[in-house]
Amino acid sequence: MPETLPQSAKLVVKLLGQDSRHIELTHETVTIGRKADNTLAIEDPAVSGHHARIVKVQAVFFLEDLKSTNGTAINGRTITRHQLRDADVITIGQHRLVFQENATANTAAPSPFVDLDRTTVLRGTDRTLDGPTLTAKVLILAGKTDRLEYSLAKQVNVIGSQDGAVIRLTGWFAPKSAATIARRSHSYSICPSQGAKSLLVNGTDVVGQQDLKDGDQIEVAGVKMTFCLLSETKNTSR
Amino acid sequence: MHSAKSDTGLKRLHNEDRFVADPPLGLYVVCDGMGGGNAGEIASALAVEAIHAHLAEAAKNPDLPLIGPSDATGSAPANRLASAIRAANDVVHRESGSRLDYAGMGTTVVAALLHEEVLAIAHVGDSRLYLFRDGTIQALTTDHSWVAEQILKGVMTEEEAEQSARRNIVTRALGVESRVDVDLTEIPVRSGDMLLLCSDGLTRGVRPIDILQILSGSENLPTMSDRLIAMANDAGGDDNTTVVIVALRDELQAGLWERLRKRFVA
Repeated sequence: MPETLPQSAKLVVKLLGQDSRHIELTHETVTIGRKADNTLAIEDPAVSGHHARIVKVQAVFFLEDLKSTNGTAINGRTITRHQLRDADVITIGQHRLVFQENATANTAAPSPFVDLDRTTVLRGTDRTLDGPTLTAKVLILAGKTDRLEYSLAKQVNVIGSQDGAVIRLTGWFAPKSAATIARRSHSYSICPSQGAKSLLVNGTDVVGQQDLKDGDQIEVAGVKMTFCLLSETKNTSR
Repeated sequence: MHSAKSDTGLKRLHNEDRFVADPPLGLYVVCDGMGGGNAGEIASALAVEAIHAHLAEAAKNPDLPLIGPSDATGSAPANRLASAIRAANDVVHRESGSRLDYAGMGTTVVAALLHEEVLAIAHVGDSRLYLFRDGTIQALTTDHSWVAEQILKGVMTEEEAEQSARRNIVTRALGVESRVDVDLTEIPVRSGDMLLLCSDGLTRGVRPIDILQILSGSENLPTMSDRLIAMANDAGGDDNTTVVIVALRDELQAGLWERLRKRFVA
């Protein structure tokens, strides 16, 4: 294990009418309450005997309210159990406790953990992986379907008579599933279903799967349609 | 046809992985638990049980309410699968609050639900699903892990990630918070395809190309599972390893038979 830095966190304690001080969170469990047997004893009738506790699980700290009379809040919201993050403000009555983790800026590098082989959770990292979103539709040219135009909004768009098929075939002998049009990251592809008689794209038989281009002519189970790829729209940060 | 095996590995005392394989439901799940003491085992066991139960119930009663929002890009079965995972999140999260030594426990999950010729895949964490098709192998899940995010950002190469001391850190897990964000994917599948669901015990030490070699072989599925687990242990056996291999020939045919049978019986 290359890193030996201890995982540390502290609690900045600002009790009403007192100077602030801090407590290192080294114990597995820190208890907070009015009674003297607590790790942090607060002499205040508004605080329950055993009011709350902070539990350390591997590298993660949790705050738990111990069914206190007046409740425990994190950043203004009452909680029963909460995973603590750096700079969380715990409010108990009129007292404030600020949770501070050993400064690791903007979650870039998670703090070292006790057992590096064990799977450990880290939350709050950004996931800004939204790429451009493609949209596509098909226009029915011939054959029996319940509509003349379908937008391909799903990841897998079934062409068939089954429930849940996006392109719903209504002919008497229409197969439950004739083919599927799938969206994968930045493209659409079509493949015939098991036992489908034939699937033609621009007049050519498709055996495995084939990527679709704007304007492609699809012919399957007696239905002819045109595939239309609509302009890409950037999905900017939500 | 499928084969599922789980192994404690060489360094651990407990196996925190759990799996379920239910061909009639078309459900295959692998969970890799985490937490102190035996909490990891509890979390993964609760999760597979809850996912299985939710889907079994939904099969009997299609009106069973969905848990969480419905994803318009997913089919009804895919949304049902995501719902099952949210149900499991709730069960694990509740249980983690019930006992001090369960606090903070959680689990990864990768779950596949086969319906007709479409496969829905839901996952949280760093357990993976690989699709083997026409002699190639492709991961259909993207790890929710710190190193995977670094690779996506371009600040770390795959090789650096493999060596990173932080490769065990997942950025999402089931049961840790009251809500969970589930990644949902769907793809059409066909006869001849094979699925591999696995915990990171396999992928930490065994490269996809080596997995491909095993899956392309002509051995039967149980032998393939044994070989994959042996490879993980040869690579150090640091972690528990679970593999679920599903060959989609019989599964799809079973679906067809089921349809025919229904048509004639009904």
